[in-house]
Amino acid sequence: MNAPATAAVLDLASIPERIQSEVQRAIQRSIKGVEYIASSGPALGSTPKDILHVRGTMNLYHYRPIADEIYRVPILIVMATTNRGYILDMVPGQSFIEFLLKRGYDVYMLDWTAPRPEEKSLRMEDYVLDFIPDCVRRVQQDSGETDVTVIGYCFGGVLSLLYGSIFNDGPMKNLICFTTPIDFREMKLFQNFSDRRYFDVDRLVDSVGNVPPEMILSSFEMLRPASRTASQIQLWENIWNDEFVKSYRMFDRWATDTLPLAGEYFRAITKDLMWDNKLFNGTMSVGGRVADITKIKVPILHAVAEHDHIVPYDAAKHLIQKVGSADKQEVMLKGGHVSLVAGANAIKRLWPKLDSWLGERST
Amino acid sequence: MADKSNDPVAIWQNMIGEMEKGFNSFANRAMESPEFSKAMNQVGGVTAGAQKQLGELMEKYLVSMNLPSRAQMVSMAERLQSIEGQLNEIKALLHQVNSNSAPGGGYPAAPRPPRTRRPPSTGGEQK
Repeated sequence: MNAPATAAVLDLASIPERIQSEVQRAIQRSIKGVEYIASSGPALGSTPKDILHVRGTMNLYHYRPIADEIYRVPILIVMATTNRGYILDMVPGQSFIEFLLKRGYDVYMLDWTAPRPEEKSLRMEDYVLDFIPDCVRRVQQDSGETDVTVIGYCFGGVLSLLYGSIFNDGPMKNLICFTTPIDFREMKLFQNFSDRRYFDVDRLVDSVGNVPPEMILSSFEMLRPASRTASQIQLWENIWNDEFVKSYRMFDRWATDTLPLAGEYFRAITKDLMWDNKLFNGTMSVGGRVADITKIKVPILHAVAEHDHIVPYDAAKHLIQKVGSADKQEVMLKGGHVSLVAGANAIKRLWPKLDSWLGERST
Repeated sequence: MADKSNDPVAIWQNMIGEMEKGFNSFANRAMESPEFSKAMNQVGGVTAGAQKQLGELMEKYLVSMNLPSRAQMVSMAERLQSIEGQLNEIKALLHQVNSNSAPGGGYPAAPRPPRTRRPPSTGGEQK
């Protein structure tokens, strides 16, 4: 008997076993499907923390240290203004925050809640010249240290770059950016959605005040319009698998927990960044202060994802080239915009890389 | 292990994956056109205007029914948030007072680990 014929026989022999397995899974799907609807999913963002300060949309947390001995320089994480910070603190064992604490870092986070209707007038300068400096001051006060490492995720990275370029004489000691765009021309679909010939940002902001989260979420989902349906099919297929369901629920909850954006801030993002590409062109100013990223001289690490559909590599690749730092590094890792920082890929790839880079710059 | 090429479940999963990629790619190409942007923003503009008008109309209707409007509920939520914010301020102040009254006078209030950690590459210990 030749080899292909043997394989066919083996396949035939395995059919009853596979039918049994599929029937069991079908039963499990029905049971687990009911459980899925009836339960609320895992608790997220549960690493113990203290709220140091709350002011409107701005929240500053301090995570309680775990290690017996910590690095001298504290970390301030600046979260993207469109999403919640618990993406970096999902559940024990899958939490970037927990990882940092275990590796001996003192961690603070600037997280955002939905801006209130009266906060529609918050401008870019409120974020860059007020919120971030205020949090840095509070981190200095709370930790007793002058130096602070800043980590910015996605648009939090853009805000951190603007902050670092304006306050380039300190106190930021190191800067780490995750998937941070600077060339907004290369965000092709967002460019087209906000084409100045057809997109009347003034009319939108003047009509709605804060830009509603549904609109932000839709624009993200439109980048991959089939993916939500496909992921729901995948969920149904794997609903018998508790680990898959837990992971699906965590990421789905976070992805749909989008925040509204303050109207004036959104207007500035659209005009200055999407339309005029000022950060890339070196013509950006915030509250009348020049924000030129070539003025950033501190050690900088930029982590980008190979398959990032939100911030394509072409939009992020010039960051390292443009900053004025002598000690600078870009690291490209497998994964997408979210899996770069959270999930199995991040645990294996990004987190250890970041630890080895940051540890020696945190003493 | 069963041969993946003969496995109907694997074939189905692969097909879904390929369809997802294909549709995303097709839709992305379509969405890159200026016509798409024009149409999308026309619809978006009309929707935003209509939403505003509908909101104003609903506001009048709720007033006539003696019911609180969304704006009033939001305002109440804001007041609650403001109270929460003030409680947090008080908590932070208490934290500060507590730390100032601690021996030495400065931060931290609760004992915190020493900031003496060294990276493993310089002979520091990973605990």
